[in-house]
Amino acid sequence: MSRLAFRHEAMATYFEIELEGADPAYGRAAAAAAFRELDRLEGELSRYVESSDISRANRLAAGASTVIGDDAMECLLVAAGVAASTGRAFDPAYASGPGESGAPAFALDPAAHVLTARSSPLRLDLGAVGKGFALDRLAGVLREWGVGSALLNSGGSTALALGSRGAEGGWAVAMGEAPHRRQLRLRGTALSGSGVAVKGAHVVDPRSGRAATRAERAWAHAPNAALADALSTAFFVMSDAEVAAFCAEHEGVGAALARPDGSLALHGTLAAGPYE
Amino acid sequence: MPHAPAPAISRRDFLSTGAKLGTALLAAPYLMRAASAGGGSDSLNVALIGCGEQGRVLLNACLKIPNIRFRAVCDIWPYNRRYGERLLKKFGHDPVPYEDYRELLASTPDLDAVLIATPDFMHSEHTVAALRAGKHVYCEKLMSNTVSGARAMVAASRETGKLLQIGHQRRSNPRYLYARDRIVNGDRLLGRVTNSTAQWNRAVTEDLGFPANQGLSEAVLHKYGYGDMHEFRNWRWFKKYAGGVISDLGAHQIDIFNFMLGTYPTSVIAAGGRDYYTTHEWYDNVFAIYEFPTPSGLVRTQYQVLTTTSAGGGYHEYFMGDQGALKMSENPKYTKLYREARAPDWDAYVSQGLILRPGSGEGAPPPVKPWEKPHARLAGLSHASGAVDVRESAELSAWDMPVTLDKAIHQPHLENFFDSIRGKDTLHSPGEVAFATAVTVLKVNEAVAARKMLAFAPDDFKA
Repeated sequence: MSRLAFRHEAMATYFEIELEGADPAYGRAAAAAAFRELDRLEGELSRYVESSDISRANRLAAGASTVIGDDAMECLLVAAGVAASTGRAFDPAYASGPGESGAPAFALDPAAHVLTARSSPLRLDLGAVGKGFALDRLAGVLREWGVGSALLNSGGSTALALGSRGAEGGWAVAMGEAPHRRQLRLRGTALSGSGVAVKGAHVVDPRSGRAATRAERAWAHAPNAALADALSTAFFVMSDAEVAAFCAEHEGVGAALARPDGSLALHGTLAAGPYE
Repeated sequence: MPHAPAPAISRRDFLSTGAKLGTALLAAPYLMRAASAGGGSDSLNVALIGCGEQGRVLLNACLKIPNIRFRAVCDIWPYNRRYGERLLKKFGHDPVPYEDYRELLASTPDLDAVLIATPDFMHSEHTVAALRAGKHVYCEKLMSNTVSGARAMVAASRETGKLLQIGHQRRSNPRYLYARDRIVNGDRLLGRVTNSTAQWNRAVTEDLGFPANQGLSEAVLHKYGYGDMHEFRNWRWFKKYAGGVISDLGAHQIDIFNFMLGTYPTSVIAAGGRDYYTTHEWYDNVFAIYEFPTPSGLVRTQYQVLTTTSAGGGYHEYFMGDQGALKMSENPKYTKLYREARAPDWDAYVSQGLILRPGSGEGAPPPVKPWEKPHARLAGLSHASGAVDVRESAELSAWDMPVTLDKAIHQPHLENFFDSIRGKDTLHSPGEVAFATAVTVLKVNEAVAARKMLAFAPDDFKA
């Protein structure tokens, strides 16, 4: 079957869509529609765009509220869910100033689409969840276009599989380096990696405010790309035991943690394989 | 804003992107009922005609404005209409969907206003009908692809006494208003403005397609004036539906020539062509030169719109005077003030708070792509090191204006429209003013075809 690949730059990285079995002209139009959605999302979610919901939220005084769009609300709900369930190992507002003791830096009212700042200054940054969130939205556009099988990735660090790639039983993705490299097949789920090899030491542990101590990469496997993206950052700063416990408690989530010798400790949905 | 009952903390809230997660990731500590902001007596009932790309931009902006209630949405394409309906329902609105705008206008008597974001060749028909039905109208630019269509819109607004705002949203952008009223006029930081250039350079775009199972039937397409799905999706490329790139992109910025210079041109000379795309009818690149007679002297302005390259710095309007220059853009990162060396010192303006010193404004950082992490800097290369940078001549320093637009780009213009309906403001881009812009813009296509300079008479700009 024919394979088509398309690439687009956004959110300070590249996004790729690989399609299978589509007519080339139709596939190109579908990918273009997905990338238009990506550009639109960038304007809604970026803290570098002055008129974005996130920029406006970051100008709020503690106690003040603003109405935000549906994209920002949905992305923040995913981020808040991961923050709450990981004890802030991932926190989209980790750089915020002081607020009420013990309270998160912001609050959401999903029905009214209202965000309230509870810290000053509020410093929201969707950098570790927005790209995954965008991948989920792009997959939604492709589904609307009737594309049943596709592999999407952002910057090579988060991959989302749409469908199961026909007879092959999934889209092949790999973690780690030889001889410990593991290849698995993604079917409708996402895998995201977090580490220091590509971009330099940039992961802060929000719980301590210091750089994460983990030196090897961590991967998260989850039902969608937004969760995988955020969880891979959380897993990077969590201890091995915390990651193992999280995967045991949350169905549908898996983790791979590289050991200093390059071998991988596998948890949750990633524990069983099958690997190729 | 409308308020539904207290939100249940459901798994759906966190997994709305599709898949199921066995155990919900509860965000309970982050959830809090917000104080109700809406329900005031000045609530307005509105409808949207045209739920395509621009209609969605208007919807998303309106949803952030209190006391706006969407009663209906209209689009001949169910795929677009459903998007509008779904988005509005998430915000607690319950809009009635329509395919035909006539039915919408006949069936929704208590509407205050209609927003129109349809292809340009339908603007006049939709606007005139909505005004005659007693609704105030916000219509996207360019107000019409023909001067006669634009004139009919102004006439209908006068006849009915209903407001007509055209979507030249820069006219409500606080930064543009500040630049005109305080910088160019006011303290006249640019001195005598002698020239202006503006541009919109956009990379190659592909024709738009559509999901295979979402095509409209030939009967529906023909009923509403479209040849086929390709023309329906790519109407901007065709002369019977649109005014070409000078209208699609240029209209916003040529409007800013009129806005900033406070007058209309006396002539235009232009060149352009369809030199790259094989599927377009309209020109894909256009250059135009206008002459504006201002009280301070002639201002010659140049506009270019290119659709095959993003090179040359994106989109901006640049006003140049003998004491300073102002580069304006909807993107604050491309917005800067430059002082000519011969100009009086600007320090006094800084202490008055009129402008900000180079490097201190909110738009000051160089363009950084979203989510880009700062890179480590090499030691010893800091500008603070005291080393003198040797080069041919010093660049003009870039100053900033202390104005931030922390809303959706179109929101202030929509707010201006709604507040004008409430009698609390006056329109920033009423039909008469936008008519003059339509005349200014559409003449460029005539000049391209005529291959010569064309003159405007003052009466040309009067609807």
